[in-house]
Amino acid sequence: MRSRLLTLFLALLFGLPFVLLGLLAVGEDWRFPAALPMRYSLAAVRSLLAADNDLLAGLGRSLLLAGTVAVGATASGFALARAIARSRRAAQWEAASYLPYALPPVLLAVLIQPFIIRLHLSGSVGGVLLGLGLVALPFATLLLRSFWSPQVREYEHLARTLGCTAGQALRQVLLPLAWPLLRTTLVQTFLLTWFDFGLTNVLSVGKVRTLTVQVFTYVGEANAQLAAVASLLVLLPPALLLLVNKSALLRKP
Amino acid sequence: MLTVANLSKQFGGQPVLRNVSLVLNQGEVLAVLGRSGGGKTTLLKILAGLEAPDAGTLHLRGQDLGPVPPNERQMVYLYQEPLLFPHLTVFENVAFGLRIRRVAQVEITAQVTALLDELDLREQAQKAPYQLSGGQRQRVSFGRALIIRPRLLLLDEPFGNLDAQTRADMQQLFLRVSRQHQITSLFVTHDSREALTVGTRFAYLDEGQLTSFASVAAFVEDARTAIGSELAFWESVQQKRNMII
Repeated sequence: MRSRLLTLFLALLFGLPFVLLGLLAVGEDWRFPAALPMRYSLAAVRSLLAADNDLLAGLGRSLLLAGTVAVGATASGFALARAIARSRRAAQWEAASYLPYALPPVLLAVLIQPFIIRLHLSGSVGGVLLGLGLVALPFATLLLRSFWSPQVREYEHLARTLGCTAGQALRQVLLPLAWPLLRTTLVQTFLLTWFDFGLTNVLSVGKVRTLTVQVFTYVGEANAQLAAVASLLVLLPPALLLLVNKSALLRKP
Repeated sequence: MLTVANLSKQFGGQPVLRNVSLVLNQGEVLAVLGRSGGGKTTLLKILAGLEAPDAGTLHLRGQDLGPVPPNERQMVYLYQEPLLFPHLTVFENVAFGLRIRRVAQVEITAQVTALLDELDLREQAQKAPYQLSGGQRQRVSFGRALIIRPRLLLLDEPFGNLDAQTRADMQQLFLRVSRQHQITSLFVTHDSREALTVGTRFAYLDEGQLTSFASVAAFVEDARTAIGSELAFWESVQQKRNMII
């Protein structure tokens, strides 16, 4: 009984913001002290289907950015974690991987902005990609560092003596062994990038309008209905991602 | 068949192998006895091509192994842990080396089924590694190595993690299969009884120096193997038992 009550309480706690967002997206003339909107309209949701809709373009931009950064950071983090595990100063390199976390992403953006400008990437998708990659790469490296244990080295050696080239050992043995952790890293770096606002806002100088940036813009303009639709769109891909990867994320150690 | 001459290796200026030389003929099992840290694993890794020696030569059937990468040596290194691939079934673990060599499916099915029968693993063919006992896992690991008909099997204390009974069973299985397939092996162990059970030739490796023995008697009599003192212990137990009776 207690566990059922707790489940119900948690479901309400997590579910209520979504209900509220849904009401804000379809509600009109919702003024204090009314408990519910006076009228309901799907106009804001329908506007998503319009060809020139900025929100759908933002969704596409955000998916492209987060997907590219997640894949790039996971692949590079895998290789980097291996190099760290095999270096003579593994502990020092690992400690250095934590250094980017001493800076919040927005501060990192301010620090790297001069370099982004000199590279002629300011206000471009490339510049934002580079900045987000700098945040996601150390995170992916630290997550994947635990994979490169001495036992994995033994697996690799065994595969080589069974006839695998270095490439075959990677494809046939190491990647399947690492797949659960790689999947977790892909999801986590995707979410890290997906929800970023500060770094993207600074480096894009208002030109790369991701979905998260748009949410903040609509909130700033007090456009509650569009802000709610944009927020629902922001929540959609991570919710799907978490659902699809539930088994990997909740796996027991 | 295998000729090793003056093999040396250092790690961080610390010598691990010092002028190791040995000769191993087809079908022989060289049991190398030694304590931990004596250089046994390094010797096996150099033979497998996983480490490069600082000095010395390796020849297998007249071929200089120096420039040959591990995947072309046809020498399988078996660890203390069976290291079965968790994403593959027992059948696919055993078939692994054949798939890498792009052997035809019909041939793979025939060879793997026959070997699983021989190792008494047919019932486990479609199971995942985590569903097997320790002894079964080690048999799968052994089958995965045997299927590619290795020119040399390198065993690094392969039964060290098994309980006494399973270990004895695996030693007998190793002997039977070794004789049947005429497998040449270098079997590293720190257990003198295991060395005497599986070996047809004997050596002792300590502080990087390998001593080969011409006979079982010479191996048993060498004080460093501590077999003599163990025999004396059991004889004293027997004498006490006789006195009580």
